[in-house]
Amino acid sequence: MAASLYAADPPETLRTVELEGLTLLYHRPSGLTHFLAPPAPQILEALAAGPATAAEIAARMGEAFEIESEDPAAAIAARLSELEAAGLVWRT
Amino acid sequence: MRHILRLQVGPVSFRIGSQWRGPVEQLRRLYAGYPEPEGLCDFTVRLEAERFWRRWLRPSVAIRGDYVLPDAAPLPLAQGLLAAEMGMNLQMALGQKRFLLLHAASVEKGGRALLMTGHSGAGKSTLGALLGERGWRFMGDEFALLDLDDGRLHPFPRAVSLKNESLGLFDGMDPARLGPVLTGTPKGTIRHLRPNPEAVARMTEPARPVLILFPRFGRDLEPAIREVGAAEAFMRLTQASTNYVALGERGFDALTRFVGALPSRAIDYADTGQAEALVDELWRAA
Amino acid sequence: MSERSNIPDDDGIGRPSRRVVLALGAAAASTVVTIRPALAQTAGSVLNCEIPVPAPQAGSGNFIAADGKLVPAGTPGAYPPLARPLKGEEVKAMLNSGRAPAGVNSEAAQAYANYIRRLQAGMSGFTCYASLQMPR
Repeated sequence: MAASLYAADPPETLRTVELEGLTLLYHRPSGLTHFLAPPAPQILEALAAGPATAAEIAARMGEAFEIESEDPAAAIAARLSELEAAGLVWRT
Repeated sequence: MRHILRLQVGPVSFRIGSQWRGPVEQLRRLYAGYPEPEGLCDFTVRLEAERFWRRWLRPSVAIRGDYVLPDAAPLPLAQGLLAAEMGMNLQMALGQKRFLLLHAASVEKGGRALLMTGHSGAGKSTLGALLGERGWRFMGDEFALLDLDDGRLHPFPRAVSLKNESLGLFDGMDPARLGPVLTGTPKGTIRHLRPNPEAVARMTEPARPVLILFPRFGRDLEPAIREVGAAEAFMRLTQASTNYVALGERGFDALTRFVGALPSRAIDYADTGQAEALVDELWRAA
Repeated sequence: MSERSNIPDDDGIGRPSRRVVLALGAAAASTVVTIRPALAQTAGSVLNCEIPVPAPQAGSGNFIAADGKLVPAGTPGAYPPLARPLKGEEVKAMLNSGRAPAGVNSEAAQAYANYIRRLQAGMSGFTCYASLQMPR
């Protein structure tokens, strides 16, 4: 059973500004502006290294951060689904 | 057409054409003293009869121009002046690309500008106009123009549209600055007020903004000041901008710099005296 | 959890490192909010703008020659002014795929298209034409 591979646009296509702990993001390919709260920006950073499954994304984030979650798989799935709805992440 | 008026307001020029003489003459009187644009005009507004017979039978004015809203209802000829004003607003809202437009009033003192933004009816227009009579230089009440390169605010001193009741707040000013009473408009009974001579004379002087205010007027409100975080201010300002999306990355950069650099405050007030006191307090601290 | 042998920030005497904690949030939480344009922006798409042919600034009595230039009324081979301005949507279709607006024959449409391509700043419709050119 192959898990889905998620992908995002490369970091140079994004313009970000931090304001009060939130990330304001201008997505050049779509021209849309989004507000992101952690861990959404960190998921996009994790995908900068290339497409990955949800588990791989969690592992990449785990290298940089101490992950805190009652149900990491469910939480990551929820975050990825929000990012997909915003057009920032897609499944290849 | 026709009857034509060419009008310069701050850095933007309009050519207003009309099939009827009345609205153009009223506009000419309302904007007496405004400079004639040099060269070509930035935007065109046309007041036209929707169907040819509407020029004479129950005449009604369709607002046309470089940009139109397709389902907009025409106005009766008696409100032709309002139609011209709405037409100018529409061209700005839909066609302005040189500046980030914010639905806001702005005033200036000592080279520094105050921006007041919020929903229609929140009180920003009246407050802006009032401050303009009380020691501040009026820059505009409908649109604030944010320079995309250097973040300064440019004046856009159009006539202020006031509910007839609010006019009582402007005692002692030159009655020649008032337009005709317009009844039964989509906004109720209104009159237009020409900005004072200082505002007109200085319409080409931009100013550096230093404070963003979200004013809220309500007869039952206690006067209050609240801090507004930069992220919330950003969100609210995107909703107050008609061309943020069209400007793309330049709009994003200009607006993030704007809210990142300036304090934002929300103020509640029940009368203009309270509003002025709150503004003075915040201005001293800015 | 797997063992990590290289923990950054380790102070060398075995105490747990202090890495930044990243909470993933509850499944129902909202961490991405897309800015939606205010109503005026969606209502004001460029396709709503209009171009009169020819512009009123040109004065009356002008017909449009096949190459888009304005010529006196009655000039052979020239086309009459359009009774109503063209909507941005129609102009875009005309310029890109040669589709004539309703009620206009294809040669006339060519002439009108050439007229529009020659629009200069200050003529009614120029900003509309310019905005149709901008990539979106």
